[in-house]
Amino acid sequence: MHSKQDKKPTLIWFQGLTCNGNTHSFFNLHNLENLLNKFEILYHPSLESTKNIDEITACIFTCDIFIFEGTYDPLMKRNDVLVSEILNYYAKDANYIIAAGTCASFGGMFKASAPERNSGLIFNEADHEGPIIKYKHKVINISGCPIHPEWLGYTLNMVLSKKELEVDKLHRPIELFSNLSHHGCTRNEYFEWKVDSDNFGEKEGCLYYKQGCRAPMTHASCNKILWNEVSSKTRVGTPCFGCTEADFPRQSLYSTKTNMSIPQDMPIGVPKRSYLTLAGIAKTFSIKRLEGKLIDYKKTH
Amino acid sequence: MITKKLIDKIEGEACVYFDIKDRVVDFATIAFPNFRGIQEILKGKNALDALVITPRVCGICGHAHLMATVRAIEDAYKNGGYEIVLNQKIQKIREFTLIMETIQNHLKWIYLTIMPELAQLNKSTKILTPLKSAFGSSIAARAIATFAGQWPHSSYMLPGGITCDPTNIDALKAKSYVDELTSFFEKESLGIGIEEFLAFESCKDFKNMDSDISFIEEELIKAGMNKKGFSHDRFIVLGNHSYTNPSKINQTRIYCADAMCVEDIDSYSPNEKTYAKNAVYSGSYYEAGSLARQMSLNVPIVKNMHRRYKDSAYSRVMARIFELAYLLKESNSILDDIDISEASFNAPQHINAITATGIGVVEAPRGPLVHKVSLEKGVIKEYKIITPTQFNIGSSTKSDPTPAQKSMIGVSKEDALFIFRTFDVCSVCTTH
Ligand code: SF4
Repeated sequence: MHSKQDKKPTLIWFQGLTCNGNTHSFFNLHNLENLLNKFEILYHPSLESTKNIDEITACIFTCDIFIFEGTYDPLMKRNDVLVSEILNYYAKDANYIIAAGTCASFGGMFKASAPERNSGLIFNEADHEGPIIKYKHKVINISGCPIHPEWLGYTLNMVLSKKELEVDKLHRPIELFSNLSHHGCTRNEYFEWKVDSDNFGEKEGCLYYKQGCRAPMTHASCNKILWNEVSSKTRVGTPCFGCTEADFPRQSLYSTKTNMSIPQDMPIGVPKRSYLTLAGIAKTFSIKRLEGKLIDYKKTH
Repeated sequence: MITKKLIDKIEGEACVYFDIKDRVVDFATIAFPNFRGIQEILKGKNALDALVITPRVCGICGHAHLMATVRAIEDAYKNGGYEIVLNQKIQKIREFTLIMETIQNHLKWIYLTIMPELAQLNKSTKILTPLKSAFGSSIAARAIATFAGQWPHSSYMLPGGITCDPTNIDALKAKSYVDELTSFFEKESLGIGIEEFLAFESCKDFKNMDSDISFIEEELIKAGMNKKGFSHDRFIVLGNHSYTNPSKINQTRIYCADAMCVEDIDSYSPNEKTYAKNAVYSGSYYEAGSLARQMSLNVPIVKNMHRRYKDSAYSRVMARIFELAYLLKESNSILDDIDISEASFNAPQHINAITATGIGVVEAPRGPLVHKVSLEKGVIKEYKIITPTQFNIGSSTKSDPTPAQKSMIGVSKEDALFIFRTFDVCSVCTTH
C-alpha cells in the first residue's frame, strides 16, 4: 500500500564551477543504484532526471535535498540564470543542503579562478560567509577533492533514515571527519618511530618528514574508509595533500616544510615540545626491521 | 533564424546555436561557458604541484591530465640536460591505469549518453539501464586505485616514476579486476565473448549478437547514422602508447604526425562568449578519438566500417565501442609482464635545477591531450593545455568548419543533437 509517507524524497544535484570529479567519484559507490532508487531525482547533470535543465533553472518547484557540486561564483549563470538565484531559491525550502566536495564546502581548487569573489556555500575558506549563509543550519559540508563516494552515501542514508547528523565547526559530519586521514595508514609504525621514507616509490617509511604528507593535520577518514574500497593515497606512497581542509590547495605539495629539519606543522593537538621530546628519543634507537626493506625479494638475477 | 540549445548530459555543458534553413541545419556554432583559468592558477607554482592541480581539470579524464603533466615535466628535464629514463614497470603501470580510465569513460558514454539519446531519437521503448555503466566503471576505478591509491584525482605519477611500490598481490588483484570487468562487459554489453567480438572483421558480424551493443548498432542504422554525421575524413593521433600509432590520416592514408604542429587558435562564436579555443594541426581541423586511433592501427573491422560508412556518426560510435574491448584485452596483457622487482622511482635531479620547456602528449579518452610547460628553476612560468574536445568541437566559420560543425550540416536539428554527442563532448576539459 502506498501512503503519502512512501513518497520518495526529491533530490536536485546542481553544479557551480567544477570539474565533475564529485559526480564521477560518487558513481563509484557500491550499491549506487539501490541508493538512488530511494530518491526521486528531479535533476542531475549526467543522470536521467524527471525535470530538464530549463525547468530547473526556471525555479518553479522545490526539492527536499539539494546537492551542490563546485565552487560558487557570484557571476556565474546556468541557462542565463544566475547560479546565486537558483541556489537561494532551492535552499529556501530544501530540508538538507549538501555541499559535495571541497569546492562547494570552502571554495577549493576553483576559488583560485577568481579569488576575490568565489567561495563555498557557507564558508569562504575557513571564514563563515557565503551565498546561503542564512540557511547554514541546513548545510552539510562533505569536503574532499573529490568527495569520497561512501561519505556521500553515508550522508544520504542518514538523511533517509531521519537520523540526526551531527556536524563539526566546519559543518562536516563528525562521524566522517573526526578521524585524521593518518589513522589507519599502513605506514603508522614508521611515523611512531620517526623513520622517514628515503624516497617516493617505497613501501617503507613515513611521508610526514620529507614528502609533504598532511595526514596528521587533516580531518578525513580516507585510511579508514578506503578509496574505491581498495586503497588510499598514503598507502600507495602519495602524500596526503589535505584536500578535505578549508585551506586546500596549499603549495609545494610534495615536500614538507621544515624548521631545523623538524616538520613545521605538528599533528593536530600535539604540542611541539611533546613532539620534539618523543622524536628525540625515537631517533636515538636504530631499529633494523624498520630501516631495512619490508620485503626482501631473493634476487636470482 | 538562429536558435540556441543548451546541452547537458555531457561532461559539463555547451551551447549550440543552430541556423536552420528548410528544416535542416545550415550551420551551427558552439560556445562553452564557465571558465576556470587553470593555466593561470598554475603560474608561479612549483612544477610538481601541477601533478595535483591538472587532474582537477577534469573529473572523468584527470588521469590523462596527470600523465600529460608528468610527461611534460620529464621532457623539461630532458631539455634541461637531465634525461629521465623510465623502466618497463613504471611505463606499464602508468599505461595500465591510463587505459582503465579510458575504459570507464567509454562505458559511461555508451550507457549514459549514447543509449538514452539514441532511444529518444528513434522513440524506442527499450528499458534502459544507465547505472550499469557506473557499476562497470567502478571496477575500472578499483583497478586504478590498486596502483594509484584512488580514482578520480590521483597524483601518483612523478617525474622519475610512480609513488607506489606494488607487490604481486596488487598486480594480481588488478588483473582480477580486469577479469571481472571483462566478464561484466561480455555479459552485460556484448552478449558474446570478448575474443569472439574482437575477431569481427565486418560490420555484418554485429548481426550475430543480441545485446546492448547490437541494439545500439541497429538503432544507429535505423536512425540513418551510417549516412549522416560525416566530418572531414581526416584523423589525428598524437599520444604515444602501446595501443596507438601517432599519425595523421587522410581518408585511409596514414602519415607521421608530430605534436609540435598543434596550435590553438581563436574560435568563432558570434552569439555568445566562449572560453574554448580551436585546436588545429598544421592549420587544419582533424577529428580525434577512438575512430582515429583504431584507423591508425588498421583494425580490420574499423577499416571495413570506414570503407562502408566513412567517418559517419555510426563509425564514430561503433569504433569507440570496439576500442573499449580492444583496450580491455590490451590492459590484461600489460599486467602479464610487469616485473615488480624493478624500481618504482628513480629520483631525478631536484626540480629547482630545471630551467627548460617541455611537452607532454597523451591519448586521453577523446583524443590527443597536449600539455606544454615552461619552467624556471623548477617554478612554472607558463602552462598550456590543449584538449581533444578542442580538436573535435571547436567553433569556426562556415567556410572552414571544425569536425563537429561539419558533421551537423545538412541534417535535422534532432539528428544534429545526437551527432554532436557522438564526439563525446567534454566541456570541462575544454574550458580549463
Ligand atoms: S605517510 Fe602520512 S598518513 Fe601515513 S603514517 Fe606517515 S604521516 Fe601518517
